[in-house]
Amino acid sequence: MGKELRLVLVLTIICVVSAAVLGWINFLTEPVIKDQRELAKQKALQEVLPTATEFQAEPALIEDISQSGVTGIMEIYRGFSGEEQEGFVFTVDQQGYASVIRMVVGVTLDGKLAGLSVISQTETPGLGAEVTDEEFLSQPAFRRAKIGDQLGVTKDNGEVEAIASATISSRAVVRGVNAALTAAGLLLAEENGIGGVSGD
Amino acid sequence: MTKWQIFKNGVFNENPTFRLVLGMCPTLAVTTAVVNGLGMGIATALVLTGSNIIISLLRNLIPKEIRIPAYIVVIASFTTIIDMTMEAVVPDLHGVLGLFIPLIVVNCIVLARAEAFASKHKPSEAMMDGLGIGLGFTLALTILCSIRELLGTGTILKARDFGFAGWHLFAKDLGVKLLILPPGAFITLGLLLAGINWLVAKRGEKKHE
Repeated sequence: MGKELRLVLVLTIICVVSAAVLGWINFLTEPVIKDQRELAKQKALQEVLPTATEFQAEPALIEDISQSGVTGIMEIYRGFSGEEQEGFVFTVDQQGYASVIRMVVGVTLDGKLAGLSVISQTETPGLGAEVTDEEFLSQPAFRRAKIGDQLGVTKDNGEVEAIASATISSRAVVRGVNAALTAAGLLLAEENGIGGVSGD
Repeated sequence: MTKWQIFKNGVFNENPTFRLVLGMCPTLAVTTAVVNGLGMGIATALVLTGSNIIISLLRNLIPKEIRIPAYIVVIASFTTIIDMTMEAVVPDLHGVLGLFIPLIVVNCIVLARAEAFASKHKPSEAMMDGLGIGLGFTLALTILCSIRELLGTGTILKARDFGFAGWHLFAKDLGVKLLILPPGAFITLGLLLAGINWLVAKRGEKKHE
């Protein structure tokens, strides 16, 4: 009996001490980690809408957008420079080949694509993972894109040069850009009083 | 064995990948680019050294009936501590390694060294074993990664998160795509293991002559 009790006691002590240490470390690091994530997010937003300096999340708009059939929009931000609104930034998720590709897309108020960057993905390295490359993301087909466009890869008779042997990953990014442009179009139309959020 | 011998033993004679053939999941999964391999190797070495020291300190307190759950609790706690600390202190590096750190808990090398070495040796020796095995693992992953990344993509040492485009040695289209896909991992590892076994066997013969 004494021996079994000792086993239980030792394991309990190890677990309690581990839990206490983990709790303590978590208490120390959690606020720092939160600040750092916030900073990294600010940087990502700034990168795709360089004219804006402040960003304000608009969670209420996401519901409207997804009801009008645009899929994958996870977050919407308004970008401001002082009091003036400069544009919108969207976080968009699209299914790639091996993972969900998360990108941020900035659209200016005059309807142009201001910036595009892939913030997380675990596509095949050397193939699909190349969607994070500047070479792919800053090609003319993306830089010229504006509201009303429906982009496509060259294989689907579009203008976007897909990454060699990674058409599925490339298509996911194109879908993400299309979703952001459509969403921006809907929001702008609504705010300029041209009409409410409509189905097309 | 002196401390230096323990360290060397971990790198060469008991190299976890090439001699013990342990930790094959991370070895096959992350060795597509040198940066990934280095990252996984360093993160594993950190956890391994830390858990080895603590398990060695507790070696006389843990009854043998419950040693496995006790080791697992220690290893999992250590991994989580390293994960949280790195994210707070070196967020950029964590961004690159973050994906691999939780995987270390299930890396059998760490549990194997706890059981086979740390639980039977002094903390200072356990630390040298952790550093040696950790370096051996890192080296093995880096060798595998170099072959796969270079022959598969024509570029080596590409590290986008550090803003480094890598050395471009030949056109990407000439690369053997198979090598960066999962079958390439098995083929490369198999050939390397065969080569190293051949070398070891040859050295053994010489000794006997």
